[in-house]
Amino acid sequence: MNERTVAVYRTATQKVSEFTVPYNERTTIIDALEYIRLQEEPDLMFRQSCHHGSCGTCGVAVNGEFVLACIKRLADIPEDQPVRIEPLPTMHQIGDLAFDPAEFFNEFPDDITYTRVSDVNTDAAVPEGMEHYERFENCIECGLCVTSCPVTEDWMGPAALASIHRMVEKSPHEADRWLDLAADARGVERCTKNFSCSRVCPTGVAPGKRITLLGAAIKKRAKARAAEGESDA
Amino acid sequence: MSNASDTHVVVVGGGGTGAAILYDLVQRGFKATLFERGELTCGSTGRHHGLLHSGARYVVKDREVGRECMDEVRILTRIAPEAIEANRGIFVAFDEEELAFRETFEQACAEADIPAQWLTSEQVLAMEPRLNPGLLGGVMVPDGTLDAYRLPMHFFAGARKLGAVIRNFTRVESLVFEGRRIAGVTVHDLRTGADETVKCDLVINATGGWAGRLAAMADIELPITPAPGTMLAHQGRLVNNIIERLRPASDGDILVPQRGLSIIGSTQWQTDDPDDCTVPDADVEFLTKAAIEMVPDFKETAYHKAWAAVRPLAGASSTEEEGRELSRDFDVRDHAKLDNVEGMLSLTGGKATTLRAMGEKTVDVVCDLFDVDTPCRTASEPLPNYRHFFRQGVLV
Ligand SMILES: Cc1cc2nc3c(=O)[nH]c(=O)nc-3n(C[C@H](O)[C@H](O)[C@H](O)COP(=O)(O)OP(=O)(O)OC[C@H]3O[C@@H](n4cnc5c(N)ncnc54)[C@H](O)[C@@H]3O)c2cc1C
Ligand code: FES
Repeated sequence: MNERTVAVYRTATQKVSEFTVPYNERTTIIDALEYIRLQEEPDLMFRQSCHHGSCGTCGVAVNGEFVLACIKRLADIPEDQPVRIEPLPTMHQIGDLAFDPAEFFNEFPDDITYTRVSDVNTDAAVPEGMEHYERFENCIECGLCVTSCPVTEDWMGPAALASIHRMVEKSPHEADRWLDLAADARGVERCTKNFSCSRVCPTGVAPGKRITLLGAAIKKRAKARAAEGESDA
Repeated sequence: MSNASDTHVVVVGGGGTGAAILYDLVQRGFKATLFERGELTCGSTGRHHGLLHSGARYVVKDREVGRECMDEVRILTRIAPEAIEANRGIFVAFDEEELAFRETFEQACAEADIPAQWLTSEQVLAMEPRLNPGLLGGVMVPDGTLDAYRLPMHFFAGARKLGAVIRNFTRVESLVFEGRRIAGVTVHDLRTGADETVKCDLVINATGGWAGRLAAMADIELPITPAPGTMLAHQGRLVNNIIERLRPASDGDILVPQRGLSIIGSTQWQTDDPDDCTVPDADVEFLTKAAIEMVPDFKETAYHKAWAAVRPLAGASSTEEEGRELSRDFDVRDHAKLDNVEGMLSLTGGKATTLRAMGEKTVDVVCDLFDVDTPCRTASEPLPNYRHFFRQGVLV
């Protein structure tokens, strides 16, 4: 095992403290934080649950980059670079690296579903009584996209809008209702097409592309409605 | 008969077990407060393999455990459908020895009411084209994939909605005694750095692999050994159904698809320290090989993550005199009866799949203790979606 110095933000002192942690090729930021909590700082606050990039709790900033602490490997940070671990800046901070995602979850419309039709082995036989295989969404609701977004005005943000776009895909017969939500003044029109959301997303959700598609669908609907209005007149 | 609302119960441990107990307590009218030293589900709960057990894995050894799992699968798919990829599980025979296990396995499933259907090798491959084509057939059962984090968060959402007090990042440091009776806990709030004493009528120790430590605060020796196990995730979903081996439960014999991942598990070793979950190199090698045996394409997929979770292994199995054996799978130990310490129950054993049942049976014991006569309703009422946990505002 090699050793590495990592600097971790502490609320009590309002600055980073340095720690030495052991690491191998698999060690991630979350392992380093667990090591520090167990060996030196039992009160260190950070969020963690699944340890494999599925729950979305563990977002942090490492050298300014927004990542999942459980996936980002120490070995992937060049040895001549420091390792500086800080909380996600836009989240409601509750201590050290931990945040409360209440505001983030408030942006999601009430009945966004979390399962969808599986996209692999789509020609495979399905057991009797089942229409298709299903799976969870890729979006793990970690909030990295929202944190990375440069839009400073109050708006729904990339995660909630991406979830609305998924509903349009999943239930096209209800598209109108979802497009109405996205067409809100706090919705797609606030997007500046920076696409930092898509770059930072750890699970390939591509929120930027989805917001663009929502915008296009809203325009198309408006045109169709206008044309209908003209032909009615 | 007493009034549940006059009784304050403190639950220690914010994993799935604590979540389900808390929800059941407030639903039956008790006042309840939960303390979790880190973020909710940061123990074994968030980290487990994510298999929604139909019970088939356990049924040959124990029909009752199998039956209980199957009951819970039926209930959870009703009350928390968004936390489950409701596909199937296939126990595949990859060799003659496994094929020979078929009869024993099917018989046990039938006895425990677990729907099981034999599939020929052609049928298995039609459902799962990427399995090792040399396979000899398989038995399909109602296993599924559960979201290890979002399922318990559904329970927390329900508990919070009904007025439970939930305090994450708050560590229980010691137990407060009045004579031989535990009358409260002292806690350390990581947010503020402050220590405080919280009075209660009962403490429920739901700290999983750490249960021995909390019990030790009352000088009670709890016979459990922390035993971590490793899981390995590769990028790429290779199957839709859970793939298991048609043989008695062993290491490296379960492949769970979840989102875009294929996750193989697990192993088991023993430790003195439940917090020590460093993955041994040998486990990664072993699990990679085990996955390739079942699904050769696993070789072509990229490493995503290896991690471990801790099981609280029962050091000594309970008997009627020792504890109140609520299920063959988990125990609620009333320390008043066994250790001459009143005011605390400790939970040991169980599975993520049976969290609701553990909640129900534990709160049944609480009702008995306080002479409350309110039946459990958690099996019939749908849970609020996990997002509602957070949508109720910032936790303070
Ligand atoms: C390798 C492995 C794979 C598994 N796979 C599956 C599976 O596929 N399907 C399935 O159904 N089950 C599975 N399980 C079992 C499942 O993980 C457990 O049954 C379940 O997570 C236990 O939950 P719990 O709430 O009892 O414990 P935990 O989730 O460990 O919760 C205990 C909590 O107590 C907290 N705590 C400890 N001390 C204190 C204190 N002093 N103050 C405050 N809080 C404290 C801890 O931080 C922790 O969060 C698996 C287990 C292992 C080990
Ligand atoms: S701990 Fe679940 S995503 Fe990192």
